[in-house]
Amino acid sequence: MDIPYTVSARPDTGLYNAKVGIWLFLASEVMLFGGLFSSYIFLRVGADYPWPVHELNVTLGFINTLVLIGSSVTVLLAWASIKLRKFGAYKVYMAITILCAMTFMVIKSFEYKAKFEHYSVTLTDGTILTGHLPNGFEIEFGDVKELSLTISGKTSAVDADPVGYVLPYLKGTAPKFKTQAGVEIDLNKESFAALKTEVLAAAKAKATNSKELPSTTITLVAATPMTFSVPMSKFLARPALDAKTFTFRDGTSVEGKIINDKMTLEVDGLDVRGTPDKEKSLAFNEHYLGTAWKNAFIHQRDEAIAEFKKEFDDGKGGTSRDPKKSATQQKKLFYVHIHSATPEGHAEEGGAHKSEAHAPVEEHGAAHAGHHPEVKLERKDVQFFSNFTPKLNSYYAIYFTLTGLHGLHVIAGALVLTYFLVCDGRRLREDPEHMANRVEVGGLFWHFVDLVWIFLFPLLYLL
Amino acid sequence: MAESPEEIYKSIRKILWIGGLLAVLTGATVGLSYVELPTHSLNLLVGMILATIKASLVALIFMHLNHEKALVYKVLAFTVAFAIALFVLFYLSFSEGLIDEGFENPTTVVEVQE
Repeated sequence: MDIPYTVSARPDTGLYNAKVGIWLFLASEVMLFGGLFSSYIFLRVGADYPWPVHELNVTLGFINTLVLIGSSVTVLLAWASIKLRKFGAYKVYMAITILCAMTFMVIKSFEYKAKFEHYSVTLTDGTILTGHLPNGFEIEFGDVKELSLTISGKTSAVDADPVGYVLPYLKGTAPKFKTQAGVEIDLNKESFAALKTEVLAAAKAKATNSKELPSTTITLVAATPMTFSVPMSKFLARPALDAKTFTFRDGTSVEGKIINDKMTLEVDGLDVRGTPDKEKSLAFNEHYLGTAWKNAFIHQRDEAIAEFKKEFDDGKGGTSRDPKKSATQQKKLFYVHIHSATPEGHAEEGGAHKSEAHAPVEEHGAAHAGHHPEVKLERKDVQFFSNFTPKLNSYYAIYFTLTGLHGLHVIAGALVLTYFLVCDGRRLREDPEHMANRVEVGGLFWHFVDLVWIFLFPLLYLL
Repeated sequence: MAESPEEIYKSIRKILWIGGLLAVLTGATVGLSYVELPTHSLNLLVGMILATIKASLVALIFMHLNHEKALVYKVLAFTVAFAIALFVLFYLSFSEGLIDEGFENPTTVVEVQE
């Protein structure tokens, strides 16, 4: 049975059915994005921290906006081409539209990746340092003489697997281990599997209830003391500052001494807006950024104060604007973009006035060495740190939610348009009016996606 | 939608012009966002006005809403009504005097400096 009114208009609505359908769908999509834009408004108004402005890569966002606008134009030209029965042109315009969609997603993936690799560290006095962790964040501890692991009697989420969860973080070659029975083994997949079978068999023999086998804790003694370097995320629980016991994600625990638990951060930004005593910020300690950077900060701050007084001089010895009420001025005073390894280089580049619309992707690529000071932060000075993802603050939470959902809509739309281009060849030849209507309806969805971005771009990137 | 070839050709020119205008307006939005107006709220207002103009161009011309049938307008009327209600509710939720609430002892955590 043929679907009716795919080309001719239904008498009561005056439209072909798909058009009614798509507009009903778009009306509901407006409410979906409207709800998320509402969240943006509430989060921004209720934020207890300075809302980021111009912190995203404006250049990439601008290019993406032009790409989407261009694709909106080409999808419309594709529709016009079918109406004019120029099928070759239709295919070209459709292909360009889909390519634009892919370009948009590729650029977006670069933006997201830069966010995943960029970190923000809040110190205990409220100072925020941003930058990159070239070595990740690992705790190095040594003097480990034995592994203590629990082999569970039943299937458990946390079951000992030293080969997969412990040995990868061992520094140097693995020593031989002595089991509780006194047997010396090389610890690998096979030997551990054999050991596990032995232990489970012994547990079964001792079990009074055959349904639930007891767990057994065994100890493997290393022939030589071991040193581990473990990323923070590979611990079961975050080790305390003075920890002597460390537990891996499979439950294996070891006793050891911390050798190095400093966070090496390549600093590209210093934010003291949340620091009560800014000149005494922890970041300016001698073993961190030091007095040279403190003086650069004071210099930038004093220059910004002078510039503000000049620009808004009210002729009566004061200013026509209140610097305390200007978020832009607060940022000029207390946010330092650090683009060079030393403050002298920073001053030369006119550090304070450097435009924020640089492309972090290029700067923080392989050749970033020497452009940022390296700071080795002690764990006791760090209150919180995260990469630039929803965990960091509500701005990034709503940024990823909005752009992520929008990106999914871009992918969905591109898939539909690809289907039209690739799979509807027969319909194009035999029923071009129907095909034109399909492209029109797909184009309407595509324009909606463009429309959402027209609001997203200024709200997230510019304002 | 029985549009004659001549009409289609004319609309192609219109589409290209509007596309160019959208690009220019985007550039203007970017540029204006770097100009510090007396309050940031004004920057937001200007940005949103520009965005609404661009959105209207896309909706009316690209999405053919300037010559659509009545049913589509009726459906969208509900959308517009609910969207306006949504944003009015935000505005009201921050207005004072509607219900009893407020800060009794306002404290400043960090002194905003000169």
